[in-house]
Order: sequence, then C-alpha cells, then structure tokens
Amino acid sequence: MTDATAVAAAASSKDPHVGLAAVAALRALQESLEELQVGNARAQGWSWAQIAGVLQVSKQAVHKKYRRLGY
Amino acid sequence: MFERFTQAARRAVVLAQEDARERRQAQIRTENLLLALYDAPGTPASTAAALLRRAGVERADVAAGVKRLAREEAAPDAEKLALLGIDLDEVRRQAEETFGPGALERTRAGKRRRMFGHIPFDAASKKALELSLREALRLKHSEIGSEHVLLGLLHAEGGARDLLAARGVTLEAMRTAVEELGRGQASG
Repeated sequence: MTDATAVAAAASSKDPHVGLAAVAALRALQESLEELQVGNARAQGWSWAQIAGVLQVSKQAVHKKYRRLGY
Repeated sequence: MFERFTQAARRAVVLAQEDARERRQAQIRTENLLLALYDAPGTPASTAAALLRRAGVERADVAAGVKRLAREEAAPDAEKLALLGIDLDEVRRQAEETFGPGALERTRAGKRRRMFGHIPFDAASKKALELSLREALRLKHSEIGSEHVLLGLLHAEGGARDLLAARGVTLEAMRTAVEELGRGQASG
C-alpha cells in the first residue's frame, strides 16, 4: 500500500487521531498565513483597526497577537 | 528528575529526543527511549542493550517497530492537509511567490511546528522514566542506569512494552536478569 492510499484509507476510518491531527495542521497553516498577511498589511501602512476589520476579529485581539512581533 | 541517572541513561534520554525530532514527532514516546538504549555509548553503559540482545531482541527489531509507528502517527503536515483537500506545496509556492523563500517557515507558527527545540515526553514515556527510578530503588541500586530505564519501559504501559511483549520479554524476567547482573558488575 502506498502512503497516499494509506492516508486515504485512514481518512475514511473515522480515526479521531487522524482527523484531529489534520485540523491541528490546518490551524498551524492558518496561523502562518495570517501572520504573513498581517505583517504585509502593517508594512503597507494599514492600521490595526483596518486589519481587524478585514480579518473579522476585534482590533484588540489582532493588536495583542502581533504587536510583539514588531509589526 | 535526571540527577541520579548514569551518564549512559542520560545519553539515552537525549538520543530519544533526537530520534523523535528526526521523525518529526510532536512528543517523545517509549519506543524512542527503547531504541535509544541500543545507541547509548559506553562500556557497562550498554547494559540495557546487552540485556535486550540476550533476550533475543536486536536493535533492528525495535527500529522496525518504531519506523512503522512513526509512519502511522506522525504523518507530515502535507499529508494531513491533503486529507482536507489542501495542497500544502501549492500554498507554500504562492506564499513564497508573494513573500519570498521560506515565508511560511519564518512565521511564528511555522517555527513552532518545524524547528522544535524542546520535544516533550508523552505521558507513557514520562511514566516509564518515573518507574525506572522506582525499579532502581526496588533493587536498592543508588543510580539509575540504562537497565533501570529498560525496566521502567517494561513496567509502564506503552508502545515499548507492547513491542517487547510481542517478542516474549516480560518485566519479571528482565527484573531477574538485572538482579543477577547487579551481583556481578557495576550498573551502566
């Protein structure tokens, strides 16, 4: 069995370990992409309020999360 | 908790962490510790390895078990995301096109995920290390050597115990072997 078919078989097995691990990987990817986009927006002079508006989160949340990264 | 560990036993713990890192595991498992016992250096240091070999368990047997396990449990992110229909290579390519090479890996989340400095012990391997202390106390040995770590691995529930049990190695038999060893020579 190749890795790909093993993965496909695992996906249909309803194994919580597989499904949860996939969600965790997705969350990490989402965090990475968000950080890149927030950094880019700040570099282009966007305010925290503008960024928060498009991200659909509170200004406080986005500021608190990224302020320390120096953006 | 490692103050009373012999140099070889400490080395085994470090090697287990390195092994887990190379396999891109999120946690150190009992199987990593078991495999590391074979690779801990030294003269009487290889006590656990010698005991295992005498019980008919070679390093290759353990390595095969660990390899299988790593494939089952630690699929790389790309494989996990493929389950969700996400092509990580494509996402990475697009991110790098816009933000430069290594863009994803440079982010905080990317670093956390790939460049783990410290990998924690999972519950089973933590328990096994605690039990290795108890096994040493039980035998009235003042130091925790690789042989006590082996007993801890046989005592605690976990993949290492399962792997050894499948090859007929039991806690009771290994305790006896360690006791006999203790009469002759120094612990490793």
